[in-house]
Amino acid sequence: MGMGEVWGVAISDSFNKFLGKVVTFLPNLLAMITILIIGFVIAWIVKKIIFHFLKAIQFDKVSERWGLAEVLSKGGVPYSPASLLSRFFYWVIVLITLIMGVNALDVPATQNFIAHFFNYLPHLFAAIIILIVGYLIAIFLGQAALIGAVNAQMDSARLLGRSVRWFIIILSVTMALYHLGIAEKVIIAAFTIIFGGIVLALALAFGWGGRDLAKDFLDRLYRKKEKEEKGQDHISHL
Amino acid sequence: MEKTLEIQLKEINEADIVVGIPSYNNARTIGHVVRAVMAGLAKYFPRAKAVLVNSDGGSTDGTEEEVKRVQIEDFKTILTSHPVHPLSKIVTPYHGIPGKGSSFRTIFEAARLLNAKACAVVDSDLRSIAPEWVELLLRPVYEGGFDYVAPLYARHKFDGTITNSIVYPLTRALYGKRVRQPIGGDFGFSGELANFYLTKDVWETDVARFGIDIWMTTLAIAEGYKVCQSYLGAKIHDAKDPGSDLGPMFTQVVSSVSTLMGEYEPLWKKVKESEPIPTFGFHYEVGLEPVSVNVEHMIGNFRLGAKNLMEIWRRVILPETAPWLESIGRLSDEAFSFPEDLWVRIVYDFATAFHKGSVHREHLLKSMIPLYLGRVASFVKENQESSAREVEAKMESLCKVFEEMKSYLIERWEK
Repeated sequence: MGMGEVWGVAISDSFNKFLGKVVTFLPNLLAMITILIIGFVIAWIVKKIIFHFLKAIQFDKVSERWGLAEVLSKGGVPYSPASLLSRFFYWVIVLITLIMGVNALDVPATQNFIAHFFNYLPHLFAAIIILIVGYLIAIFLGQAALIGAVNAQMDSARLLGRSVRWFIIILSVTMALYHLGIAEKVIIAAFTIIFGGIVLALALAFGWGGRDLAKDFLDRLYRKKEKEEKGQDHISHL
Repeated sequence: MEKTLEIQLKEINEADIVVGIPSYNNARTIGHVVRAVMAGLAKYFPRAKAVLVNSDGGSTDGTEEEVKRVQIEDFKTILTSHPVHPLSKIVTPYHGIPGKGSSFRTIFEAARLLNAKACAVVDSDLRSIAPEWVELLLRPVYEGGFDYVAPLYARHKFDGTITNSIVYPLTRALYGKRVRQPIGGDFGFSGELANFYLTKDVWETDVARFGIDIWMTTLAIAEGYKVCQSYLGAKIHDAKDPGSDLGPMFTQVVSSVSTLMGEYEPLWKKVKESEPIPTFGFHYEVGLEPVSVNVEHMIGNFRLGAKNLMEIWRRVILPETAPWLESIGRLSDEAFSFPEDLWVRIVYDFATAFHKGSVHREHLLKSMIPLYLGRVASFVKENQESSAREVEAKMESLCKVFEEMKSYLIERWEK
């Protein structure tokens, strides 16, 4: 066999191999394209369905009541809560579609990553839900505490409302991070320190820095009792 | 309904008149109320078969024993003739969520089972009730063809502040009937109206609590029943009705008013002006017990609200109203004033926000309390030296503002 012939065989072999690979890869590529097209269409349909469903149950109104709409507008988010949530689901489906598409290419390097990703996905969802629900509860209870404190004539009403809100936010962030498995021990330790710190700060504030506040509170309580005993302020509201 | 009560009512079979007394730990006063009711029935309705129902919320102070103890012999000296039928007296616990409304429901049920023609309810903490009240509340229904009798009292000029600041002017502007004491607590009504009340599924709402009075009055007006009012004289009740109960009282009453606004929207939108309703009873001046009001405390509460709740208020009021409230919050105690038109605007804004659900409803109503106290403080300050008649004239002026600004309400409501 001459040199030229060897050369020719080598070239044709590698060409055949490449062609073989292309032939094997082509269906995967087509599968990926199909998955992407179907995925995007499904994402679009799901987005529309969720948006209309949320509109039907007046989700925007509920969000407004809970203060979520206000938070979004303050944060410069140009979408309504219903629109935002439906877009969120759209992008989640798009992301899943992209991963499935890449998976369809059957490239070994991506397989491991994708398996991990899908295992992690439920935790990610749970963490997001914990954060959203936690935030809404924080807003609600913070507002309830603020109004209650104002009606109880407490000068520190705003501080109380904010404390309640931030405590619940910190609690839900801790829970979310714990759920994601991010440095679990550090998170618990950090939460314990923060929580302990708040309690200590409050104790110090009442014992030292907030002496006047505590005195005012007790004075008010005493004066109120005294007034009730004297039968003052017997206005009948009904 | 309690089984024992049902058996008792079936034994009685039927009655012309049912008088209900809701109670909860009223041993100090209920004896007097029962005596007045029994005397009134015996004196003014001697031929009628009457039943007295005490619907109790689980008193532990001997209220029940006090009701049972009162006998007709106690007051027979005032009777010119002996009643034809002996008066039946029933003491029963009520079921459902604790509250005045649940107690009334038991009385309505008793009226339905007994097929009563006329009914009345009176508060168990009254110290000024007289036998004449029974006649004044029942006669217009029993013989006059009316379905609902609201009370009309002589009250201290600073008494009944929720009534005067919100419920009376708002009900009048909305439904066009001048029922001066729509949440008075003592009412007369027909058996037919009691049956109608029972058809409504409201017994798990604020109607089961303090919201019952305005609910009864509003339904009577809005459903086209014949409504009148009877002048009963002074309303003096037991001094255990302190301002500390304001929160639940305020939110339950205002929540009921606002819920009813949503239900009767087509009706009140059509009403353009108000008219007086037939009034019975002899109007006379009475001496009233002094009422002490802590104005500084109320102004302080308003200021605290203006400082901390403005963020919530801004979601309810118009942008131009906020600076107005802030400027009032900066006034000294001496200069403090909360104008009528601002107050009316706020009431309409909060009613609209309640309807639209733009703020959580309980938070919304509780956040309104400092505004209400601000308005009451201003009213008390303005009328410190005024006579009862002058104060009533001021009330009339407030009602006019409510009526004139109704277009503002409709505009906000529809936006």
